[in-house]
Amino acid sequence: MLITCPYCGPRDVIEFTYQGDGNRDRPDPASQNFEAWNAYVYDRLNPAGDHNEIWQHSGGCRAHLRVVRNTLTHEILSVAFMRGTHTSTARRKAEDKS
Amino acid sequence: MSPRRTDTGGRIDRLKTIRFTFDGAAYTGHAGDTLASALLAKGVTLYGRSFKYHRPRGLLTAGVEEPNALVTVLKGEVREPNIPATMVEIHDGLVAISQNRFPSLAWDVNAVNQLGGKILSAGFYYKTFMGPVIGPLKGTRFWMFCEHFIRRAAGLGSAGSAKDPARYERMNAFCDVLVVGSGPAGLMAAKAAADQGARVMLADLEPRFGGSANWSDETIDGAPAADWARRTVAQLAGRDNVRLLPRTTVWGYYDNNTLAALERVSDHKEQPGKGEPRHRYWAIRARSVVLATGAFERPLVFPGNDRPGVMLAHAAERYANEFGVLPGERIALFTNNDSAYRAAVALKKAGAAVVAIADVRPEPSAEMRKLAAEAEAEIFAGHAVVATEGGKALSGLKLQRFDMANGSLTGEARSIHADCLLMSGGWSPTIHLASQAGAKAEWNAARQAFLPPKSTQQWPTQHWIGAGAFTGSFSTTEAIAEGRAAGLAAAGGTSTPAALPTVEAIPCDPDPAPVFEIRAKGKSFVDFQHDVTAEDVRLAHREGFVSVEHLKRYTTLGMATDQGKSSNVPGLAIMAEALGKPIPEVGTTRFRPPFAPVSIGSLAAERFGDLKPERLTPMHDWHLANGATMYSAGLWYRPMIYGHAGETVEQAYVREAKVTRESAGIVDVSTLGKIAVQGPDAAAFLDRVYTNMFSTLAVGKARYGLMLREDGLAFDDGTTWRLGEQDFLMTTTTANAGKVMQHLEYFLDVIWPELKVHVTSVTDEWAGAAIGGPKARQILAACVTGTSVDNATLPFMGIVRGEISGVPVMICRLSFSGEMAFEVYSGAGYGTHVWEALIEAGKPFGLVTYGLEALGTMRIEKGHVTGAEIDGRTTARDLHLDWMLSKKKPFIGSAMMDREGLIASDRLELVGLIALDNRPLNGGAHIVEQIDEVNPHGSIGHITACCYSPALGKHIALALVKGGKARHGTRANVSDPLRNRFGPVEIVSNHFFDPDGSRMHG
Amino acid sequence: MVERQSPLEPEFHVGSHGNFEHGVEIILTETGPGSIMQLAAWPGEEKKLIAAIRTVTGLALPDGAGGGLSDGVKSVFGFAPGKFTVADEAEGLADAFAKVVTPAIGTVTDLSHGRTAIRIAGPKAEWVLAKFFAIDFALPAFPVGAGRSTTHHDVFAQIQRTGSDQFDIYVFRSFARSFWKALCHASEEVGYEVQ
Repeated sequence: MLITCPYCGPRDVIEFTYQGDGNRDRPDPASQNFEAWNAYVYDRLNPAGDHNEIWQHSGGCRAHLRVVRNTLTHEILSVAFMRGTHTSTARRKAEDKS
Repeated sequence: MSPRRTDTGGRIDRLKTIRFTFDGAAYTGHAGDTLASALLAKGVTLYGRSFKYHRPRGLLTAGVEEPNALVTVLKGEVREPNIPATMVEIHDGLVAISQNRFPSLAWDVNAVNQLGGKILSAGFYYKTFMGPVIGPLKGTRFWMFCEHFIRRAAGLGSAGSAKDPARYERMNAFCDVLVVGSGPAGLMAAKAAADQGARVMLADLEPRFGGSANWSDETIDGAPAADWARRTVAQLAGRDNVRLLPRTTVWGYYDNNTLAALERVSDHKEQPGKGEPRHRYWAIRARSVVLATGAFERPLVFPGNDRPGVMLAHAAERYANEFGVLPGERIALFTNNDSAYRAAVALKKAGAAVVAIADVRPEPSAEMRKLAAEAEAEIFAGHAVVATEGGKALSGLKLQRFDMANGSLTGEARSIHADCLLMSGGWSPTIHLASQAGAKAEWNAARQAFLPPKSTQQWPTQHWIGAGAFTGSFSTTEAIAEGRAAGLAAAGGTSTPAALPTVEAIPCDPDPAPVFEIRAKGKSFVDFQHDVTAEDVRLAHREGFVSVEHLKRYTTLGMATDQGKSSNVPGLAIMAEALGKPIPEVGTTRFRPPFAPVSIGSLAAERFGDLKPERLTPMHDWHLANGATMYSAGLWYRPMIYGHAGETVEQAYVREAKVTRESAGIVDVSTLGKIAVQGPDAAAFLDRVYTNMFSTLAVGKARYGLMLREDGLAFDDGTTWRLGEQDFLMTTTTANAGKVMQHLEYFLDVIWPELKVHVTSVTDEWAGAAIGGPKARQILAACVTGTSVDNATLPFMGIVRGEISGVPVMICRLSFSGEMAFEVYSGAGYGTHVWEALIEAGKPFGLVTYGLEALGTMRIEKGHVTGAEIDGRTTARDLHLDWMLSKKKPFIGSAMMDREGLIASDRLELVGLIALDNRPLNGGAHIVEQIDEVNPHGSIGHITACCYSPALGKHIALALVKGGKARHGTRANVSDPLRNRFGPVEIVSNHFFDPDGSRMHG
Repeated sequence: MVERQSPLEPEFHVGSHGNFEHGVEIILTETGPGSIMQLAAWPGEEKKLIAAIRTVTGLALPDGAGGGLSDGVKSVFGFAPGKFTVADEAEGLADAFAKVVTPAIGTVTDLSHGRTAIRIAGPKAEWVLAKFFAIDFALPAFPVGAGRSTTHHDVFAQIQRTGSDQFDIYVFRSFARSFWKALCHASEEVGYEVQ
């Protein structure tokens, strides 16, 4: 599998580290909302289809990437830097409704 | 009468004689021969014994799909089993042996298994050896008894145990167009793509490019096809944008057009070149792929179809035209299609007599009759072969009238004397790679074959274009046209180049009659390598196996090393007939990588032995030169002890620790993870990362810090030094350096992108030496210039800069050993220089070098935690580090660390243990209240680290024990049944030695 | 001044090796720059950092990810978003950058000891490097001057192409000897010379 890093270009998946479901929101650090923390730490979406994932280009520029990947076909629909593309709230809520 | 070499013809070099041995006998062949062709030329008909029944087997094919003639090649002590003789290029000194026979190939005791055919049918193992024990001859216990004999009798070649000294390499490649297969279609595709300026790779598993052009009787552009192929290859070889990979099997097709290939670089040479690998594993990333992998000819299924001398028709054509070898003198053919007639003509031309052509079709075409006449062969239309005769070679066969509408046999059987029978059951496109890439094959009723789908129905992450026989277009004219179109399309080209090469070929109907099996008495083989017969397939059906996937697993059809290349479709056809369903409704199985067996060595490549990556500290060579025994810690190598002559490991570390506590010791701590944390928000970031405060830390001071994971469990600890207002040097444990770095990067990139902080691994920038003991300060005072190291200038956790022997150093006063201790950091390139200066300065004070063992001993005595205690299950409280949990700020893990389960009173807590029987303790041993050696139970915890403590004169350990602190002063027992170590211990505080830290604070 | 110790020393054997009788197609050496710096800009401050690099080194970085150049003495290339490696034969680059890269622009990290620079040159340089790294070394894909961050197993590497058949590889010092041995091993089939 190849992931096209926005900085380094297409690279083999061996250069990347999967950093988990990209649909989680970290609660406010001071929040005592235990359910929100629990959801953030333990709940993972596992869709059969397009999935919002976080990958780090750990064997390259080390940037964290927001990758939309189809878990059935391994097709990668988009890749962007995590920095400045923090949009997980909207995605998560949209999926919760469906 | 036997096979022989022809006087002329073939693409071998008769002037070059090559000497090799097979089963100990000396043979000669010629340059260009395979082991199969060279042995066949010498009249060898018997190549192996079959898997289950030990039936004699000869050559079925001439290529990679060979199921019968598997050999073991010996190179010195190294043996490589299960290689098709058809894929072994001979070279001087080649040593090959046959397999699965005892005591010899010609006389095999297990051939008696043939008599037990009924018992050894499909499901033999399941029926005989699985399930409950009923009587003496059933069940798993019976299997255990029989296994030894069965493993010996059934099977293939045996693997060796000698170390393989050959070199294997991995190679990464990128190209615009990868063409797999170099027949006319592949050559045209490569040429068309190269003409467009694309970067092209052309791979073929054979040593010679050209595919069928190497053995067909056709002409292309007026020249023999082989000459055309050679010319085209020469043109390609001369181009900068083309890489030719002969002897290269593309065996895996993965996501995003990543393909795996195995190049057999030097198997065909007596000696590889200097530094030349044996195999090279190519990881190829191609923008587009042209699959021109051709097709495999199918055997027909009839009684005795596995007898030596029965061969696929095209294979015989290939032996005659490519290798100048006649597989027999009196040749008969049995076919359901036109292609076999070409073989008849070719063999006649090469000098054999073609005695009969049995065609299941009642009315062969006029063109075929003409070809038969050219071959001077009698056609038996509407006939089938119902039996073969002979032992280790064919002596004859029987024909009977056959009605292909209902499969019935009528009339008297007629005997024909022949020493070779060629069969053709039609052709199956080699769709393996496309299937791996997710393509669903489609049954084509006319071709009686599974064809790859059109490219529009492909998997989204793989993009290939098919050409030639791979697509079911079996004629060379079509292959050439499709090849060029595919090459153009793959390169993104649109231009229409000059006219296509013209082909002169024998006209041939590509569609076979839908006949796969002749049902007559006797064993008819479907899968030659796994000895699966047509009757086995029907038996599986009778026993209720209706899915093709279950059929495969139950009968093992197609599961041998040839992966069913020749048996797949006939097996499905027989299953379909049994089910009364058309073949497409039975379906086919998906092919998986590898297409052909791959050497494990090529997959391991250079990550093996001496070439494994390792990390060395700047003082590594000094340690080696000064008697250190090295210990691998992850990828790092660290001194374990600096043993004196005659010392045991325990004596050495006890001495090192003792001298350190009495005067001074020095240890290499360069492996500690070091991360530069820089930027205006660095202090704020550290406050979030660590459980304790760092924003309050003064410049020029260090602080011990603890990190938790998001789930509230302890993660890592270490000291962080504030070198400037916005400049911190974080240290981590050696083992967690990479993980901590990733953790910090994650939070900066994903969670807090607004923080202006950069983190950089500077582990390798600094050489670190920790010097500790009552005399450590004096030693430093003796060699450090530019700064004082007294208590006022360098208090506990203070940092100073100075010089040692002309080299700038940074010194921080902190302690892991519990002694008055300092960490001295210098540029890594100066590490040995500074280390030696410290050693020299320490001589008058009795300074000792110490290794990991003494380091561990002193930290156990002090009750400090490491990765053995921060094991991913313990909390800060479990480790008595709750004093580090700031209440003034949130930090990573603070929200989750107070969960019910993490603050429960019966959690495992860190304690110290003293062995009351004065015997050594073991890491991992359990702690129990009451010993029960017979039925060990009731664990209340376990030992995480242990040593003999020179400071206490006792065997001690750190342990995680339920309700730990409350048990201080009580007794328990160690229960270690694996090592048979039981005995009483006293539970104490983990701070064994100098609990108030007076030595460290000085 | 005390001489810096090379991590390659016991495995650094000057001379021709491997299949050199058939011609030397690889030259291996350690460039040993006096300074290796890592510079990193805050988001939006990249242009100022590039200007600072120009002030100190005289090298004008081209636009784009992984862009770089070398004048044979000083080299600079981008290896990550907003991050650059600068190497100089001379020591003391850290002090020079500390003056011009203000906290508002970004950070300066001295890696002069922490990274080892190995140069591979010759007609088979791309071939040998392809044994280690899964990146495209062909000239159109990897132009002269450009930098790449990649990895060989656990060995992180920053690679700058400093000539049509010459590459400078920056690896962690602790891995350098191991990587050097592997590089020599991989060069044997084409014949190599250590200079």
